[in-house]
Amino acid sequence: MSEPGRTPRSPGEVLGGEHVLRVNWLPGSDRLRGRCHCGAEAEADDPVAMWEWLLAHPVHPAGGVEQPGPPAELPRPPAHVVTDPGVLRGRAPVPA
Amino acid sequence: MTSIVPNQWYVAGYGREIGRREEGGDLFSRTICGESILFWRTQAGALTAMSDRCVHRRFPLSEKPSHLVGDTVVCGYHGFTYGADGVCVAVPGQTRVPRTARLRSYPVVEQDSFVWVFIGDPDKAESTRIPRAPWLDQEGWTVVAGMEPLAARASLLVDNLMDLSHETYLHGGYIGTPEVAMTPITTEVDDEAGIVYVSRHMDDAECPPFYAKSTGLSGRIARWQDIEFAPPCLYKLHSRIAPVGSVPNDDGTDPDAFHVEVVYAITPETESSTHDFWMVARDFALDDQGVSGFLAENNRTVVLQDVVALDKLEQVLAGEPDGYQELSINIDTGGLAARRLIDRLAGERAPAGAR
Repeated sequence: MSEPGRTPRSPGEVLGGEHVLRVNWLPGSDRLRGRCHCGAEAEADDPVAMWEWLLAHPVHPAGGVEQPGPPAELPRPPAHVVTDPGVLRGRAPVPA
Repeated sequence: MTSIVPNQWYVAGYGREIGRREEGGDLFSRTICGESILFWRTQAGALTAMSDRCVHRRFPLSEKPSHLVGDTVVCGYHGFTYGADGVCVAVPGQTRVPRTARLRSYPVVEQDSFVWVFIGDPDKAESTRIPRAPWLDQEGWTVVAGMEPLAARASLLVDNLMDLSHETYLHGGYIGTPEVAMTPITTEVDDEAGIVYVSRHMDDAECPPFYAKSTGLSGRIARWQDIEFAPPCLYKLHSRIAPVGSVPNDDGTDPDAFHVEVVYAITPETESSTHDFWMVARDFALDDQGVSGFLAENNRTVVLQDVVALDKLEQVLAGEPDGYQELSINIDTGGLAARRLIDRLAGERAPAGAR
């Protein structure tokens, strides 16, 4: 835990535990760089895939982070599909 | 995904909310994680927490004419009387008190100005961490605080606070400036310590009104945001405001900077509503009532901007099928880590891609 008034100078190296996972957003880019406590490192441009790679410790997938490909199954219905009748009833009518 | 993680300590309120001013009064009730809990102080000032439902006919013990008599609480409906441990000591009209007549009691701790209550198996309370925020009750700091009810699940407030890039858009003119959303973050996770730490250090940024008016700094500033989240409840933002070019000394002291500790306690009321406790502690202008008033009013305004947005978001999510598709980008790295840690505490394994 950091102490107020004694702010750490270097972001990204604050927690002192033995099993800390770190993800740095590389300045000037859209890339993330993850570093496991075992020393393994990889880059990615998707935070979900980045965490999955780190959390695979101790068997980090060889070849780095797998980028999300096209879905094998049809995607879920669009998020705007509303199923709750209460929400439908609460919608304001469009003025004439 | 549940918003309520069992077997954890949660902030139930501020210690000052529960008084003992006179005989009979000061019964305080709040719903924490779906459980209606009665809080009161003994005559010696010790805090007690127990179910707010009489075992007899479920009358809320916090409702008048229920009242305190010495170190007992008397139900206002039929007079069942309970001690500070929740055990019934008297019932009307008979001398035998049923053996099962006892209220569920809760482990409770006062620390750092908070009332912490343990939700879950009481045997696990002692071995479960209560995170600290000592500057909320420490010499050298001045604190303003409040609580706003949120009609949204706690996880939405966690998402909101873990990604401060939203300040640029939702809180423009208060704490948001363009640099917040533009500056890359670093994220660290310590599973064993139960901490997610997210840093955003802006070394040359516009000074938002919230800090310009409270510190007196004008023009460009160094603005560092270091989030330290101890799931599921306690969120701390170590905020450092300093002239551009100023950095802490090698020994860690930082005399040129203004430090603001923004603390949130995120306590589920129910699965879909949350107590949004907020505090702003500062290490400057300690006795300046004008600064205190300004920070209190402005932080509450900012919190209410979040409340309006998250209440609306809850309505939208509640009306949609489960498993809605999200899209996460770099700004969400810390929020994703917090979700995973909460899932782990809850004993759930989040499905891949939904973390």
